[in-house]
Amino acid sequence: MIEENIQRFDIRDYLRTHLFPHFMCPGCGHGIALRALLWAIHELGISKDKLAIISGIGCSGRTGAYIDAHTIHTTHGRPLAYATGLKLARPDLEVIVITGDGDCLAIGGNHLIHACRRNLNLTCLMLNNETYGMTGGQVSPTTSNDRFTTTTPLGNYEPVFDACALAIGAGASLVGREITMHVTALKDLMKEGISHQGFSFLEILSDCTEIYGRKNELGESAEMVLSQKANYRSDSYGNQVDEPFKPRDITTGILAKNDRVEYLDACHQHKMSKLQKAMNT
Amino acid sequence: MVAMSESNMINAQTDESLKEAPLQEITTNVLIVGVGGQGVIMLSKVLAALCQEQGFDVKQSEVHGMAKRGGSVFSHVRFGKKVFSPTIPQGNADILVALEWAEGLRWLSYLNPEKGVFIADTQRIVPPFACRDRRRYATSGYVQESVEEVINQVPNSSAMDAVAMAKELGVPKAANTILLGALSTTLDFEVDNWKSIIARFVPPKTVEANLMAFDTGREWIDNFDKQTQLENSVTAVTSPLEIWPVEQNQAVVEINAAWCKSCDICVKFCPERCLALDSQQIATLIKPEACTGCRVCERLCPDFAINIHTPAVN
Repeated sequence: MIEENIQRFDIRDYLRTHLFPHFMCPGCGHGIALRALLWAIHELGISKDKLAIISGIGCSGRTGAYIDAHTIHTTHGRPLAYATGLKLARPDLEVIVITGDGDCLAIGGNHLIHACRRNLNLTCLMLNNETYGMTGGQVSPTTSNDRFTTTTPLGNYEPVFDACALAIGAGASLVGREITMHVTALKDLMKEGISHQGFSFLEILSDCTEIYGRKNELGESAEMVLSQKANYRSDSYGNQVDEPFKPRDITTGILAKNDRVEYLDACHQHKMSKLQKAMNT
Repeated sequence: MVAMSESNMINAQTDESLKEAPLQEITTNVLIVGVGGQGVIMLSKVLAALCQEQGFDVKQSEVHGMAKRGGSVFSHVRFGKKVFSPTIPQGNADILVALEWAEGLRWLSYLNPEKGVFIADTQRIVPPFACRDRRRYATSGYVQESVEEVINQVPNSSAMDAVAMAKELGVPKAANTILLGALSTTLDFEVDNWKSIIARFVPPKTVEANLMAFDTGREWIDNFDKQTQLENSVTAVTSPLEIWPVEQNQAVVEINAAWCKSCDICVKFCPERCLALDSQQIATLIKPEACTGCRVCERLCPDFAINIHTPAVN
């Protein structure tokens, strides 16, 4: 059914249209993910003045620059660190981090686990296209086994990193995963993540069509989007994230959700209890 | 749909000759129809168990299972001193209970044309095959007969909005029990007997709600007045499907050629195959009349080159 009662969503209201057409390759899944994000923001009614997008380096990092809101294009692997600082200084802003698989898991892995541990009210979108697309297609922590990249000419043999399992283990209070083919489900998941009080980590399985797809003969863009379905399992199949290294056997939906106390709340409570103690003595 | 074939008329006449015999001597035929998930089988089980308890010979036969949720389901219940055949011949049903509007009309030919009682729920469950045209406001293949037309043609008929009544009671699933209440007024059984059987068949937590629904159905039938129903039902049946012509609601596809990168996703994903790449490898709309405005292309376009404008609904 087509949405009827909400105000019409025109994505151009949320874009810096003078920068278009964007730099991404034809059929790149990051564009679909960007639409889902802006659609979620539209449906949540978040004003562009209250929205801050922090992005790192890589193809995913560039997507942030196209959003007509407060955006910071930061250093490689550090968007979560910048976002933490921004959220502490301006808790009134809705801070969303757009990062990639290499950005978030390889060079920025430490920032990710500590952001999960602190549980600050941030939303981290990890656009996982399994490769470093911007620099020519090198192997990344999430590259599937036997895939060819410029640095693995005989196929990748390293174990594949399950980012969601890492985030759950590190204590993120909402962890989810979705594929770009399910745009509406992706939008709903993003809405859930943005409105969640606490750190929400969402892994979005995107396609690198021109570099990764071409090298591995995964077909044209439409075939790549369709093939996401082949590896997909709905969350009803089972939500267990029990093995850290899995083949591409994807569970989607919300994988973990808890009510761990949010960082700023915890900070406030701690301060009040110390003040109380000081008053009593 | 109400018209009877010749052979049915003969059946009806033989039935006429038995009119004077006491209830136990002749077989009473109740046909309960609906779609999967509404509780047709549960109704017939209650009725069959009750008749059995009262010492009648009962035969019940049903079609279910293949129907899944939303498919056609029917159940024949026959009871009397001795029942020989498990199914009701066409034109011989004494009572036809329809839990869904179109199903009721589908089985009307089984109803005894003179003294048959028709109790219907006006709830409409449109099957997927009735609306294969996916454009907005396309006319559906669902029955077009309005409630008043049918009620006028069929003697002893009554149509209620049992789902709305059940919702009012706070138990939307008990619509079938409301119809059972209406059915109970046409058969000579004690109310307490009905209630004890219902309590045995419904889930333990919903016994109270179902008994309430049963009373509501009985009350409704007692207060039923055909004339007021006809006046009230006029607004209920005008479907929006018939008001809007399709042409005025055609979706408009706006393609921004400067942003298109010829990735082909929209062309390959369009369920109506109405997009194609032109000589410049830019997506173009080749069959505007086939577009249903489903927005698959708009949502999967990674370059935001497609915008769909559908007319506002109100």
